[in-house]
Amino acid sequence: MFILTFLRQTWESIKTVLLPDRYFSWLTVIYLSLFSWLMSLLGRSLGASNITVGIMTTLSWIFLAVGIGWALETNQVKLFGLSLAPWVAGAIVCIFLFGSWGDNWLQPALITWPLISFAVVAVPNLLSWELQYKKPPAPVRQQLVLLFFLSLLLSSWFQFYFRIQNWLQAYPSLVADTVEDSNFVYRIPGQTLPLSAGVTHLTEAEMIIKAELDSKPWPWIERWLLNVEGQEQAIQRQIQLNQQSSPEDDLWRFEMQPFSNGPGYTLELRAIWTGPTAEESGYYLEKSCQVMPVGQAPAYGSPTPGSVVPTQWARVTCDLEVPRVTGRP
Amino acid sequence: MPITDFLADLGLMPLRAIAFQSMLLLVAIALEAIVLRQHLRLGYQTSVQYAATINLITTSLGWIAFLSLEALLPWALRQQIISYVLFNRFDPTNPWIDALPVVIVVAAIIAFFTTYWFKLQGLSLLVRLLDRETVPRVTVSVEESPRYNSTRRPVAWSSSARKQQPETSSRGSSYTLAVLQANALSFTVIVILLLLRLNA
Repeated sequence: MFILTFLRQTWESIKTVLLPDRYFSWLTVIYLSLFSWLMSLLGRSLGASNITVGIMTTLSWIFLAVGIGWALETNQVKLFGLSLAPWVAGAIVCIFLFGSWGDNWLQPALITWPLISFAVVAVPNLLSWELQYKKPPAPVRQQLVLLFFLSLLLSSWFQFYFRIQNWLQAYPSLVADTVEDSNFVYRIPGQTLPLSAGVTHLTEAEMIIKAELDSKPWPWIERWLLNVEGQEQAIQRQIQLNQQSSPEDDLWRFEMQPFSNGPGYTLELRAIWTGPTAEESGYYLEKSCQVMPVGQAPAYGSPTPGSVVPTQWARVTCDLEVPRVTGRP
Repeated sequence: MPITDFLADLGLMPLRAIAFQSMLLLVAIALEAIVLRQHLRLGYQTSVQYAATINLITTSLGWIAFLSLEALLPWALRQQIISYVLFNRFDPTNPWIDALPVVIVVAAIIAFFTTYWFKLQGLSLLVRLLDRETVPRVTVSVEESPRYNSTRRPVAWSSSARKQQPETSSRGSSYTLAVLQANALSFTVIVILLLLRLNA
């Protein structure tokens, strides 16, 4: 008995929440949206044509946008004194319009979002129920003009954000730099910094040098080092060829400087950044490689000891770390 | 961690630009509203609305102009813009560094006069859109209405027409003067604020 009354009471309270007082209300529209969504699911499971399913989904999205906009409007949900309804409805319309665009859907969706929200506000003011143009009163016209240019400004801000991302894609090394002094951008703390392209350039140079010098007879090394500048240019050209062409590659200049180090040499490989940077005097990345003579051939042949002077071979080892140095070398 | 992934995807956000621009817009709107109110004898609310409208027009059109022009500039000049936007300094090794002061001054002068023109046009369009005290463009002259010459006293009519003419022209010129002064004032204050920020 008790359970029955409890169930009835619960049902009554559920009914008051779920059933609209009048049919002309936002809840009806949300139900319409749910209904058309279920119908689209049903259509898909029954193998209906794409057009039918498409119409059903579109209807469900439109009903969802209208219903949620209506709900926020009637309940007067506000943020900082501005009504949220057109923005949320505009966002839903944007997700519906651009959500199926694949990977890059966020950019057009965000850029058009303020403009579509403006349209959501403007259309009821400019069109009557018979879809005819009507002239709103002067204060409303003033509000609409202000709102239009405000939404254009918001859209420009989004566009500026995406333009900055384009820059950073073209010049990834810019991300690694500090933007503390900027008047425009802010880096949200806790982001991981991507690897600078200069590091890959130096790794590439290391591979080239190892291929040319490692396990070669020592006189060959001496001859190779006589023409450091020529080798520099050759390596630079090789790096440019091997990298995928990005605008940033032209801004890294490769330099190489040999120092004598005991019996062998230390090669300082430098990637010098010639693009925009926060550092007053620029910066460069440095990787040092040791080219050392080794007494024995590493792989093959058994040198006859004592008979002749043993041929010296070169071994190249490079440091793993690539320190960033301020200034110019 | 999806949150950190999301943050890493966001990259650099122009939050400072948005904050500074909102602040400068508020300053410009307040100053221009004062000037417009004094020159055009408008109410407080109307002058603020007019100033807000013309400033939002020029700001949003300025963004569109910047975003489309920036894509067309040569790479070296774009690098200077990137350097200024990200690091608040110009790259001294860039080939454009010598021409840069000239470019900036020319761009600033062009920006001043284009914003002035757009503000003036925007204001007159806005006034016409709101049906408020439209500036009478064509004054009725004696030749255009010969029919009334006989019925009304021609001397009085022409004298009233003549009286009306300088008034309307002064009305139009008061618009141009008011917008010019407002624009000059807001530009001056904004440049001073930007210089203060540059030195700080």
